[in-house]
Amino acid sequence: MIKKILVANRGEIAVRVIKACQELGIQTVAVYSEADRRSLHVQMADEALCIGPAPAIESYLDIDRIIHACHQTGAEAIHPGYGFLAENAEFARRCEKENIIFIGPNSKALKLVGDKVRSRQTMEKADIPIIPGMKRIAKDFSEYKKESQKIGFPVMVKASAGGGGKGMRIVYDSKELKSSLEAGMREAKSAFGDESVYLEKYIEEPRHVEFQVLADNFGNTVHLFERECSIQRRHQKIVEETPSQALSPELRAKMGKTAKKVIQVSGYNNAGTVEFLLDKNKNFYFLEVNARIQVEHPVTELTTGVDLVHQQIMIASGEKLPFKQEQIEQKGHSIECRIYAEDPFNNFLPSSGKVLFLKEPKGPGVRHDCGIFSGCDVPIYYDPILAKLIVWAESREIACDRMINALNDYVILGINTTIDLLKDVINHPQFRKGRTTTDFINKYFSEWKGREKTEESLRLALIASAFNSLNQTEVRTGGVVPQKETYSPWQTLGKWRIGGKE
Amino acid sequence: MDFEFLIDNKLRKISLEKKDNIFIVSDGDRTFKADIHFISPNSVSILIEGHSFQVYFARDKEKQYLSLGGQQFIVQEPLESEEGYEEGEVKPKEDKLVITAPMPGKVIKINVTEKEEVRRNQTLAIVEAMKMENELKSSIDGFVKKIFVSTGELVDSEKPLIELGLKK
Repeated sequence: MIKKILVANRGEIAVRVIKACQELGIQTVAVYSEADRRSLHVQMADEALCIGPAPAIESYLDIDRIIHACHQTGAEAIHPGYGFLAENAEFARRCEKENIIFIGPNSKALKLVGDKVRSRQTMEKADIPIIPGMKRIAKDFSEYKKESQKIGFPVMVKASAGGGGKGMRIVYDSKELKSSLEAGMREAKSAFGDESVYLEKYIEEPRHVEFQVLADNFGNTVHLFERECSIQRRHQKIVEETPSQALSPELRAKMGKTAKKVIQVSGYNNAGTVEFLLDKNKNFYFLEVNARIQVEHPVTELTTGVDLVHQQIMIASGEKLPFKQEQIEQKGHSIECRIYAEDPFNNFLPSSGKVLFLKEPKGPGVRHDCGIFSGCDVPIYYDPILAKLIVWAESREIACDRMINALNDYVILGINTTIDLLKDVINHPQFRKGRTTTDFINKYFSEWKGREKTEESLRLALIASAFNSLNQTEVRTGGVVPQKETYSPWQTLGKWRIGGKE
Repeated sequence: MDFEFLIDNKLRKISLEKKDNIFIVSDGDRTFKADIHFISPNSVSILIEGHSFQVYFARDKEKQYLSLGGQQFIVQEPLESEEGYEEGEVKPKEDKLVITAPMPGKVIKINVTEKEEVRRNQTLAIVEAMKMENELKSSIDGFVKKIFVSTGELVDSEKPLIELGLKK
């Protein structure tokens, strides 16, 4: 078993991985940029090293500095989380060369599945259904133009290197093609350090259904069923759930089998996700392999009872999978909401700054994977994901109600978040009916303004503000020290002594 | 005691008087009793006619952020510049001829040059934060009067980026 792991990430996923390591008795090393000195992952790890300035390209994406930190601390393995270097084959290869265990697939498989164009060719050869599109990166704009006409509009610009919606654009006619390609390339470059993009047919009204797979180093492969991630905004998933309402047991079995085949023909090991698009007529197309632990992995954990990060570490340590396909079952229903630092009332502008106060939702069946705390800073440099709220319940209906309750119970003050939007998504009649397609947000939420504030709630807010002001005035005039603005219980306790008896 | 606040940019008045550990609240023509207690430095519990409400709050300089019933409010003391506004009146929007940064971020592209003519909806600049690009578009047909920033510059929210002029 591995004894020390360097976590090459930040935010909630770094926290998630550190917790898994702690449970397995593994020492942890956090790396951080100058903007992240006070971050949660730095506080939680056993050791922490600053690896450079705030921009990710000079810190979290700097392979040399991370490898150096690994040698310096004597960590045997690196967990890359998601994003940053998680799907960078060069990084995985470098780890292999330096005798560091990369907790993820081998670099050869990573290179294959990370190259969306080459992996499409591989899948096509293996008779796995794919979406019509380009099979290689174009040399110049005229080639993109020709290809777009061949595929037929609308087409999708996709980043060859990445996922998570970065670099993606839908293009409805040839006039928009050039600017969309340029924007896609810029975004791809900034997110993955690789500006390659390609075009593919855009399938309208599809569902996004993906399968979680685990493969050990001995050729054993299992899938842990699907996650439906159709609720997306700007191609970024915001709500995920399992089981999908669109799959029959037969279709589920068929897609699961195909997912395992994708993993096998790619020579892939460790945890991975095979993404499919499911069209109206229940045809499914292979999209890509996400060669990492995914943001939405908790819904699979809650319904199968398998800890995926533990499994990643065990597989990387050279352990065999502890279960067979027929031993894995789906139980109940799980939903995840991603909490982004974006202002849903103002065109989803990123919202950086200080989290003044956080109250985490709690209760039976509620899980909160979180990278923030009261008083933390949310920098402008990184992905806006702050936390994930995940619920489990016996049925989808109760899971929805539980999610609403938990979202109502969730307080983040100081920066804007998507919590209000998420509530209305979960409460939407079409969502409740399970009619979820990737155009859901555009279709039902493009004019969304949020709930009106009632006269009663405005009045309560005013009462609380007045009460606060009154209290401050009392403190100031009551002969006590003219205090800082916030209320402190110590001011009202009078004389006290720690451990005092009198 | 009478209080005047800007709540979500609207001016509102409320009065709170303490009487035997209970507060008498007057809001417009309504008067009622409220039992209010601090629960923590960031929350109060309010009981009104047996109904229970929990309000969370935090202060950042002059702004007070509140959350209740799952909704957020921003409460401020009226600034001097707000004097003269009637109760309930909304603060006027800023002059649209000056394009400001919508959020803290980095200017990654400036698509225009000074004196250049621009058309409505034309992209003027791109500001990036948290890996998302935000295109800033012209809301008028006009020309670029002045550019205040350069590519690569880090900008704070509301920082003027480009000033436009109306077509002569």
